[in-house]
Amino acid sequence: MIQFEDVGKMYPATSKGGEPTIAVQEFSLRIEDGEFCSIVGPSGCGKTTILNMLAGFETPTRGQIVVGDDVVTKPGPERTVVFQRPSLLPWMTVSDNIGFGLTIRDKNPKGHQQEIMQMVEEMGLSGFESHFPYQLSGGMQQRVSIARALITDPTSLLMDEPFGALDAQTRSDMQRFLLELWKTSQPTVLFITHDVDEAILLSDRVVVMTPRPGMVAEEFSIELKRPRKWDSILSTEFLRYKKQILSVLRQEAG
Amino acid sequence: MGYPWGNQKAEIIDEMPMAATDMTIMESGRNYRGYVPWIAALVALIVWEVVAALHLVSAVALPSPVQVFRDLIATATVGYSGQTLLSSTLFSFGRIAVGFALAVLVGIPIGFWMATTDWVFLIIDPFLQFLRPIPPLAYLPLIVAWFGIGELPKVILIFFCTIPIVIISAMSGVKGVQENRKRVAECFGANRWQMFRYVILPSALPEVFTGMRVGIGVAWTCLVAAEMIAASRGLGWMIMSAGGQLQIGVVFVGIIIIGLLGYGMELGIRTLEKKMVPWKGRA
Repeated sequence: MIQFEDVGKMYPATSKGGEPTIAVQEFSLRIEDGEFCSIVGPSGCGKTTILNMLAGFETPTRGQIVVGDDVVTKPGPERTVVFQRPSLLPWMTVSDNIGFGLTIRDKNPKGHQQEIMQMVEEMGLSGFESHFPYQLSGGMQQRVSIARALITDPTSLLMDEPFGALDAQTRSDMQRFLLELWKTSQPTVLFITHDVDEAILLSDRVVVMTPRPGMVAEEFSIELKRPRKWDSILSTEFLRYKKQILSVLRQEAG
Repeated sequence: MGYPWGNQKAEIIDEMPMAATDMTIMESGRNYRGYVPWIAALVALIVWEVVAALHLVSAVALPSPVQVFRDLIATATVGYSGQTLLSSTLFSFGRIAVGFALAVLVGIPIGFWMATTDWVFLIIDPFLQFLRPIPPLAYLPLIVAWFGIGELPKVILIFFCTIPIVIISAMSGVKGVQENRKRVAECFGANRWQMFRYVILPSALPEVFTGMRVGIGVAWTCLVAAEMIAASRGLGWMIMSAGGQLQIGVVFVGIIIIGLLGYGMELGIRTLEKKMVPWKGRA
């Protein structure tokens, strides 16, 4: 279980006269184990800040974040992150990138071939394990990045607009792909996006945020039945959710 | 289970044309890349020969390529002032190799350390920035006064000329590491050494190599200054001495050998770079 307890984040004034910025304010949210939760909101509303605080890259200036029984103070292998840009290590092959977490954990760059090969296969990357990241397409690079995040069996997977840089076709392939993966290993997912369709299609719950300072504007439980197909986004229920969420976003934008 | 909706093949086939086009461009690129530098050098030689043959300037000031070639043979076999070309070259090369290698061995760790530890940066940076703009000729007298006129002062001069470049490139290489790459390692709980070994060091390598390529050029530039310190052998010494006696052909020989050696070292570092950082500029 992940719990944001009255979390706030303020960035101090800059030396060049920039005002202090309150990025996130009074943000409270509870995500159950195995839940797929998306956060949507206008750009600059602090979505990424929330994910960074949960990951442990940044510390809240108010409140706290609790995962299981522990307050988050630093990054950890049970909370892995997939960034918008794949952020692979270009000097490593695909299989070394996928196994990076195991290399760090076991202080041993060899000896994980079996797990890596299994992951390569699950990710549809067979035949590319010895390639370097720059030899792959954007979609494949992002799959390597997801594989890297999953190989250490995290309890939660934090995704920061992971498909935002992909073309429409690849994005929709990746969404289905992610749902398949999630169905099998069922980690808790916090998924940041600005794409309302994507949020509804993937999630158990969609959290809509206000513009900065970011707070929870409204939450929607998405009760579309799974497995969801590509045409789920044309169903009446789907459109009803979409209309509700868009109207909250419009209202918040003023 | 694999990729669950069965268009995996299509995507992979889609990938191939991209890779194939890359290959073809590289393949056809190789053809002219092989001979263009040689043609450029040949044209330069012909222009030189024509200008010399027209006697626009006196033959003493501008000997023809043929004359320079004769001088090359003479300095290589008989020698100049008792030093053969090979021994002059080896001495110069040795001074540069030692001075520059020391600068790399000392400079890279210092640069990394300055980039990661603030107080180290605060201590070293003023000295670095203070020393950097001083031309080597200006502190030459000091180096002679302190280290005499043997091999040591020449090596030290080259060391001091090149180490700022190496330090600065190593430092900026480390500072330029992409934040998200560090965060990935943090996520998995990397310790300081693992962070350095797997993320920071490889990230910094491309810039380190650029620094080394610039540094090796500067090292040769300093050589003439270094060999003005009461030297009796070396390419820089040979050039200065022959110039004083108006043996311009020998000056040309010295210049050409330095140019070729510098070029050779650059190619060497470039090859090493391609081996060690094949991803440079592509990620």
